[in-house]
Amino acid sequence: MNIQTKSQFVAVASITSELSAVMVVAKEISLAAANAKAIAFRAGDKAKGFQPITDFINELAKETIELVTSINVYALSLYQLTVNEYRKTIAYNKFELITELSKGAAYARSMEEPLEKAKITMENCQRQFKRDVKQLLDQLEAVMHHARAARVIAANSRIEASQAGEYLQSLQAVAESVDKAAHTIHDNVQRCRIALSLYRNN
Amino acid sequence: MKMTKIYEGSHQWIMFGRDENKPSNIIDSNQYAVRTANKCLLMDPGGSELFAPMMAAILHHAPVEQITDLFASHQDPDVISSLGLWDQALSNAKLHAPALWEGFIRHFGCESIEYVPIPDNGGTIKLENIELQLIPAHYLHSSANFHVYDPQAKILMSGDVGSALEPAGTPMFVENFDSHIEKMRYFHQRWMPSNHAKRAWIERVRNLDIDILAPQHGRIFKGDDVKHFLDWFDALQVGVAV
Repeated sequence: MNIQTKSQFVAVASITSELSAVMVVAKEISLAAANAKAIAFRAGDKAKGFQPITDFINELAKETIELVTSINVYALSLYQLTVNEYRKTIAYNKFELITELSKGAAYARSMEEPLEKAKITMENCQRQFKRDVKQLLDQLEAVMHHARAARVIAANSRIEASQAGEYLQSLQAVAESVDKAAHTIHDNVQRCRIALSLYRNN
Repeated sequence: MKMTKIYEGSHQWIMFGRDENKPSNIIDSNQYAVRTANKCLLMDPGGSELFAPMMAAILHHAPVEQITDLFASHQDPDVISSLGLWDQALSNAKLHAPALWEGFIRHFGCESIEYVPIPDNGGTIKLENIELQLIPAHYLHSSANFHVYDPQAKILMSGDVGSALEPAGTPMFVENFDSHIEKMRYFHQRWMPSNHAKRAWIERVRNLDIDILAPQHGRIFKGDDVKHFLDWFDALQVGVAV
């Protein structure tokens, strides 16, 4: 297996790993939203502006979880495609070697058809891989968009928390945890995108 | 890859082996082909490292589209790990292999080739007007293991039974049975697990009319050396590691 193939395997496999970390964080945001809702309820009028934000945080976490679940399925199929492409490339290389080794054999020309077929199959796999990488990158961009939205919500939450009197600290802690989670999601997804973008145009 | 015709009649048996370009750290293996007018059967076609030289060698005897049947005596990588590559080269082929090993052998890649499972009591492979018998050889060494007997050519392809571990460039045939014994003793004592299975196989094989005993590693036995081998194996204690 050459270095590029190895890196391709690692890049695709690492997406699933990064995304499972994103999933954990998204679930934490969802918990933070539930926590914030309870605090806002207790705070009553003092946290009036905070109450609609908690629903928004929860909605965002839910959407992120759904998105990541669907990307994971996609990433798995991309991994299978990588395995397939690897197998087809190996076969094509071996068939080329057979053509070389069998020069002068009575039936050497009978390898022409399998060789041509293997070439087409390998190239189809390579094209499909590039197409799928592009689609996966688009989906990852959607998760980044959610992460950016979460950071904006965190900033708004801080402002609303400052009006909440004795609940200020609790609500600020919620805002902090949403902000931190959004950062983590952003960084993890960004790593996936960097790893994959190498293969978009190769 | 060296090619030796070991039978020529209404059909041919060809032995392939002693590949000079084989990496030195993988075991040398003998591959066999039965060639009829329009079909070709490959027996224990080898590991994936051997696929290209093996296919190139076969092209001296048959075109790709006439390689219609593969046989795997058992599941070992030196026997059939090339399957995933044959699978992509052959458009209309069957693999005859132990039913017990189907789920395992398919790990090597078997999408277009039809897996024909061999039941424990054996079966046959029909190759045009030739019928080859699949002789059970369970626990020699694999738990589901078969050998191929050709009653017309009087050849038994005996898988690992009769094998010897020898250096590269070894002759194709046993020339002096007595001096050959030490080359195969450890292999049989260590790889073959059961004296009971060994006796059952010898009893079955003694009823066959065999001129050539063709193992997967080492040299081929001819004429009286077939009987010499069966007598020697009968007396040998196997399964010595416990």
